[in-house]
Amino acid sequence: MARKMMFRVFAVVLGLGLLTACGVVSPESSFAATHPQELGAGRPMCSECHGDEVMKGSLKRYGAFDHTPEFVKDHRFLAGQDANSCAVCHAPSFCSDCHGGKVVMKPATKLGDRPDRMSPHRGDYMTLHRFEGKADPSSCFQCHGRANNDKCRVCHQ
Amino acid sequence: MRGEMRRRGIGVLVASLVAGLAWGQEVSVYGTTMAQVWKSEVPGFDTKTFTPATQFLGIDATKLGTENLSLHLYGWGTSDLGYVKASGAKADGDLTYGYLDYRFDRANAEIKAGRFAINQGGGFEQVDGVSARTDLRGGFTISAFGGTPVLYRPDDPAASKDYGYQRDLIFGARLGWRWKQVGEFGVSYLQDGKDAAKDLTPAQPVDYTRKQMGADIHLMPTAAVDFSGRTIFDLASHPDTPAGVEKPSDIAEHDYTVRVKLPGQFAVTGNFAERNYYAYFAGTTLPSLFRQDDRDKFRGYGANVSWGAASGLQVVGDYRHTHRETYGDTTQFGGEVRWVPAEKFLTGFGAHRVNATREVVVDPMHPSYSLTHTEARAWAMYGTEKITASADAIVQKYQDKTNPNLNGQAWLYELVASVGYQVMPSLKVSGDLGYGKTALAKNEAKGLLRAEYRFGFGRKGGR
Repeated sequence: MARKMMFRVFAVVLGLGLLTACGVVSPESSFAATHPQELGAGRPMCSECHGDEVMKGSLKRYGAFDHTPEFVKDHRFLAGQDANSCAVCHAPSFCSDCHGGKVVMKPATKLGDRPDRMSPHRGDYMTLHRFEGKADPSSCFQCHGRANNDKCRVCHQ
Repeated sequence: MRGEMRRRGIGVLVASLVAGLAWGQEVSVYGTTMAQVWKSEVPGFDTKTFTPATQFLGIDATKLGTENLSLHLYGWGTSDLGYVKASGAKADGDLTYGYLDYRFDRANAEIKAGRFAINQGGGFEQVDGVSARTDLRGGFTISAFGGTPVLYRPDDPAASKDYGYQRDLIFGARLGWRWKQVGEFGVSYLQDGKDAAKDLTPAQPVDYTRKQMGADIHLMPTAAVDFSGRTIFDLASHPDTPAGVEKPSDIAEHDYTVRVKLPGQFAVTGNFAERNYYAYFAGTTLPSLFRQDDRDKFRGYGANVSWGAASGLQVVGDYRHTHRETYGDTTQFGGEVRWVPAEKFLTGFGAHRVNATREVVVDPMHPSYSLTHTEARAWAMYGTEKITASADAIVQKYQDKTNPNLNGQAWLYELVASVGYQVMPSLKVSGDLGYGKTALAKNEAKGLLRAEYRFGFGRKGGR
């Protein structure tokens, strides 16, 4: 009952939002489609150049996009809110190295010449997955739960 | 019939998109060709050699008649001279994405049509359809998408006979509010399939459909504090809970992270995550592995401390504890170092210890075994305008050699060395050599040749 009520409230809010959207579209000009300067190698720290400025596209501080070790590990949060900001520097194929719906080889093999990139499944992951899958199968689910699981199915039928 | 229509649809989509290239004022073609060979020695079996060749290809065409319209295609194909898939197939491929993108001059508004990945709120989906987004006045932002889900059918058709039937459409939306310089709050909805399995006629035993609502947050009120996370609710219609069994929660996930920057280039990060598998695994295409009927729950928390020196040294120490109700507790701790000792030279080291509950098995002679292990990794990269070189070594030491999955081996390792040469600005060739010991293969040697090329107008910024 509560679930249905939550869905109805959400639908009403969304419907009202859509009805009024045409009249309330932001008059601001769009953010740059690509970063105007070539970036150097390695993980960029946006705040080194932009300081505490606010990014026009996302209204967040540039520091929120600093590619710290924590950002690289937890990038799912900002990517879910600000995919457009990611696209300023990253082509979609960059994301597809790991996040393809169907992947032909493990990312660590494809990026064998880039040990600096965070690539899942390095080394003998076939053995390691027996541990990680038991400790937390939800970490597998994010990539293999609904796609990219043909190889899982060979054993897990 | 539906499969035939889908194949024709993809054919028409690709043909339309490729035809669109003719109008492109700026066209980039990039790709990677890979030839692999690896040899595996598994005790008790014949030595096997695998030789797949893989082609990745991407095309970006901008200014298709107007400054704002662009086209993006990316996919791969592979064929093996010796390797045969479990299904008997020797070749495979996939169109990862292929879409037309129109970016408006105002409001960061954008419309995409074709095959694309959508990432909003809690969902990361691949869709054949249309998506749109725009910023609104007052800091609001709205996005929505709809179409058919991209179905990745398993090789075994019998394992997927209800799969495409149930997942007949996918749609979703997200409404966000941005508080300038402070943060963002969002609510999102995702639905995959019209009717739950139990509502079909006749009712189906496995449910591949999903209905989810998500709430996400990002707060950075000062440059020193960053808080982000999300909660996902399962709104799907599930079969009634049997009498005497506790009704599972509708909350599929809580996942929150807070980071505090301290003086002296220090930062402390803490994370908390909780997942209820009954709700979280809703809609899985592999229900035998991602089991909802276990009614299992997961909770994890951890922290790390990082320090970055201006001299190009970055040090991270981390700790994480997880608890899964049907398995037990796991504790992981360790550290990583990234260091730039000289220009064009980058290196890293790391070591972690994982203490895990003993895995209980039904065997009177050997009732349990340990998965506790230690992992260490070291890597280095060097690059000039013409030459690149890298080396990467990873080793795992398992505590309990009696673990049947280890086949009596406690030390497992892999070494990969790579050398590359920039033949011309648009072409780079490289080769990787790998050698290792796995629990299955006594020795495994791998070789990979890679040719990467990019023609036309490249993107500025990163890649």
